[in-house]
Amino acid sequence: MLETTDVTAAARPRLTLHRPPRGTAVRAAVTAVLLLFVLLALPQLLSLYYVDAMTQVAVYAVVSLGLGVLVGRVGLVSLGQIAVLAVGAWVAARLLFATAQPYPLVLLESGVITMGAGTIIGLPALRLRGLYLALITLMLAGAFSIVLATTNFPNGGHGFLGYNGKLLQIPPIRRPSFAATDPAYFRFAVVVAIIMFALVFVHIRTRPGRAWAAIRQSEPAALAAGINATLYKLWAFALASFVTGVAGGVYAGAAHYLYSYDFPAQNSIILLAVVLMGGAYNMWGAVVAGFLSQFLPALLNNWGVSNDWLTILFGIGVVQVLTTAPRGLADQFPKDMARLGRLIVRLIRRPAPAAAGGEAS
Amino acid sequence: MYGRSWKAHALVALTAMGIAALAGCGSSSPSSSSKSSSTTVSTSQCGTKPGVKATGTPIALGTIVTDQPGTSFTDIPYMAQAYFTCVNDNGGINGHPIKYYIETEQTNPTQIAADARQLVDTDHVVAIVGNTSIIECSIDSSYWKQQGYDIIDSGIAPECYSTSNSAAVNMGPRYSSDGAVQYAISQHVSKIVFDQSNVPGTQYIAAGPNALAAAAHTPIVDLTENVPISNADSVAISEVNQAGPDGAVILNFTPPDALVILKAAQTLGLADKVKLWGCSTPCNTDFLAQSLGAQWNSKLFVNAELTPPDVTNTSAMKLYKDILAQYGSSGPTKVSGGIGSFSQMGFTEAEIAVHALEGITGPYTVASVNKAIREVKDFNTGMLCQLWTYGNYPLHIPNNEDYTVTPDNGKMVTAQGCTQISAVDPQIAAYRHAAGVAGLAP
Amino acid sequence: MPSWQEFQPFIVTGLALGGVYALSGVGLVVLYQATGVVYLAFGAVGAMGALITFSLIAAGMPHWLAWLVCLAFGGAVTLAYGMVFGPLLARRDALVKATATLGLLLVLFGAMDLLWTTSGGEVRSLTLPTDSGGFSLGHVQVTWTQVLGLGVGVLIAGATAAFLRYTKLGTAMRAMANDREITATLGVPVRRVEAAAWLGCGVLAGVAGLLLADMVALDATTLTFLVISSLAAALIARLRSIAFTFVAAIVIGLVQNMLVPIPAVSSYNDMTPFVLAAVALLVLARRQVMTRSREET
Repeated sequence: MLETTDVTAAARPRLTLHRPPRGTAVRAAVTAVLLLFVLLALPQLLSLYYVDAMTQVAVYAVVSLGLGVLVGRVGLVSLGQIAVLAVGAWVAARLLFATAQPYPLVLLESGVITMGAGTIIGLPALRLRGLYLALITLMLAGAFSIVLATTNFPNGGHGFLGYNGKLLQIPPIRRPSFAATDPAYFRFAVVVAIIMFALVFVHIRTRPGRAWAAIRQSEPAALAAGINATLYKLWAFALASFVTGVAGGVYAGAAHYLYSYDFPAQNSIILLAVVLMGGAYNMWGAVVAGFLSQFLPALLNNWGVSNDWLTILFGIGVVQVLTTAPRGLADQFPKDMARLGRLIVRLIRRPAPAAAGGEAS
Repeated sequence: MYGRSWKAHALVALTAMGIAALAGCGSSSPSSSSKSSSTTVSTSQCGTKPGVKATGTPIALGTIVTDQPGTSFTDIPYMAQAYFTCVNDNGGINGHPIKYYIETEQTNPTQIAADARQLVDTDHVVAIVGNTSIIECSIDSSYWKQQGYDIIDSGIAPECYSTSNSAAVNMGPRYSSDGAVQYAISQHVSKIVFDQSNVPGTQYIAAGPNALAAAAHTPIVDLTENVPISNADSVAISEVNQAGPDGAVILNFTPPDALVILKAAQTLGLADKVKLWGCSTPCNTDFLAQSLGAQWNSKLFVNAELTPPDVTNTSAMKLYKDILAQYGSSGPTKVSGGIGSFSQMGFTEAEIAVHALEGITGPYTVASVNKAIREVKDFNTGMLCQLWTYGNYPLHIPNNEDYTVTPDNGKMVTAQGCTQISAVDPQIAAYRHAAGVAGLAP
Repeated sequence: MPSWQEFQPFIVTGLALGGVYALSGVGLVVLYQATGVVYLAFGAVGAMGALITFSLIAAGMPHWLAWLVCLAFGGAVTLAYGMVFGPLLARRDALVKATATLGLLLVLFGAMDLLWTTSGGEVRSLTLPTDSGGFSLGHVQVTWTQVLGLGVGVLIAGATAAFLRYTKLGTAMRAMANDREITATLGVPVRRVEAAAWLGCGVLAGVAGLLLADMVALDATTLTFLVISSLAAALIARLRSIAFTFVAAIVIGLVQNMLVPIPAVSSYNDMTPFVLAAVALLVLARRQVMTRSREET
């Protein structure tokens, strides 16, 4: 959907899924080293303030991953993923207060319940074309935020809603016993994120991924080829809702206290903006999106720069991505770096006078 | 960059630069006192050594404040900063300047928790003074306790008033609403409609007014509105219908939403359809008085948590206005609301903190500074009805007497002097009992 | 259940608000028909225009001139956006075009908070001369501003419908909605027609911004996202018919306000536009044919 509809490109068969590209082993090794560094060394190096910010990066990287599956893989734009995150957080909080279940189990349950809710909503909405689907998700998210403002989040009260508005001291949402401190919880969040990324990775590399690619290319052609488009689109919704629900559960433990303020409608728009900027098609793009939406604000806040500049930047970024670099930063950045690298190499090889003849990028 | 889209990029870049230029010029807000007095004589009483700049090792203080589109309390710490700057210019605390770290937040719990850790771990603050946040007390209260901090704040969330390590200079939404409701009751209204913004804890806030109304055998209706308000006309009509001609409508909203409702009532001619209107402290601004018409004179009664600045001429009030004019009128920490309850709160909190610090002999550590803060007793801030005490109590509501003000042709004037908040509110009773304050009969 | 008399004032407020939703909805529909863009930044543009007007009035400019500046601002920003990014995205589907306007929304939203900071007890409000004064209709007090809201909505809807049907430019816009390529080959100056559509929509955004700033609140967040309610009306009309948009907007305004006096659902009244639009979209979906992959109107 976000790529230019080029007829000749559609005609070219997509073979990359079977033959792994060269350099995969190198990339895998780099990723592994990076993850080990993040898990083991990073919490030691950062102050608690930034550890907390990085925990949020992990949460929103997973949320961006979910939206990336919808937008990048299947071509469906959802403007209500923050509402899905809120549902996940709500379910997790309710279970954590009401039961004594271990935290990972609660995460699984909140993922599954959110997946159920997402699928039920996705089912009738799937008949809608791209624009209308996006707008209906916007409408549903708006309606949900009003319901949330009235029901609030569980805070240890009784009844289905678990909300007690009279409390003089609100109890915090518990964390897992093995991850109570901020650095430990950060590691927990990263491990959960890795599992979610792995889950999506497996999907992309197997049949659902191929079906999604076919649907994004051309739905009528996919239908003609015998692919059950409705099923696979629903599957994408279910997957995106599941990972976002789990992310909501991680968010609940990180925050300790949940408020309806935390999930305003404009966050869904900003989420879409950063996913587009980071690259909806690329799993690294989800990590970039997490950084953009959670780490940069923390950094700017520390430097005393208003977050509004970031909002403006995201707005510019959306337009930039849609007009020039549809695959986003994660895809564009290596290409730009490669181009820069080639330019530098060329400048070094030829002595100074000939540098004027070098290409302008 | 590529082909035709350079135009797009140029336009976007120009726009960004334009916005940057405009932002650099500062916001165009009409109300700000920019009269800066060049003499330091009048403000010098903020410190102990007039005219002597403090140059020792700084004493680090910190605060967390909400600053987001639609809600911003930055005036409070900015005024505290102005006070501290004055103190630093006039001898500091025994020669030590105060370094004040202000963290802004956007009601994001993880961000607020992170800000608290930043202040403790990175900035090494010895005290927290000036917190004003919709939810911060709930989130950080146990962390502050664990780290040994006793907070001086301008509270909103329940924990600001119900925990042992937070004492506020203001009353907060519940007790301020109590004040407005009890004034209405004193005017013998037949019914009360209590309308507030739909924020978490509405039932906690409404519990106070409900208790007061029950004790006075006055029926009360609790309403909530989603904010920001988008259908003020309907809200006003609904409130008036339910209150009836002898009833009262009491509002508990932030200034923009309260103004919108009152304006709607004014345009629809509803102001006189009830016996009186009441409002908690956020309505107590001259700006509101100017925006409303004359029919609200002696019709709208606003709870004022702090001494009305326009009619008071004590030395503390004078110092407040002078510091505001000299130190708070320009720069990055400009107090844009000018004279008003927000800057008054900031002044009062800074005043208390300085008073506590000045009494310390020996090193300024977390333990010594917070001990001094806890020991503040019967301090005359010059801004409140009562003397202010921190003390070792399980809860703190040190400001529990209010004025009631009413608009009078563009200014807020006193309608009722210092009146105790009724101990029918169980929390007030609990505090008075814990503090050993007998209090007058409700 | 409240009595008929108790409903009456809410009917008046509902009609007034519905009129302004209609005005915005019509602007959205016309632009979509002419360019294929769902202008999600409509509210943000109006909001910023209203804030500029507020600042100019506070600085001493005559009211009527400040209002004109708001309209000019709305027209200028929208036209600039349309002329620069319209061609760049012309071949993309409607979803991409709509998403790009979200970028403009974010830029304006961030700029508004930077330039008009919220601080202290400061409150901004915009008053129109029609605020004071009105008349009584039975037990209900009706202000001239409410009449203005409904009146402008009716006027704009009617004028736009007539414009589209009877003028050359309007016909050209309708033709472009059908098929841009063929219209171009017929010799219609497509870029100029588009420019007219962008400009017209932008000016309407300014008008809506002023009216909503007076009737609702002069608050950037509120006004920016109020566009969703107008969008709901446009969606119910399938982004096609001016008449349906008008009716849908009035219905949304009425239902939303008439829920207020009913205690059981009162706190959910803000949901009305969203729920009605979602339902309408789902009903629409049942009739749609699935096999077209290109965006159809």
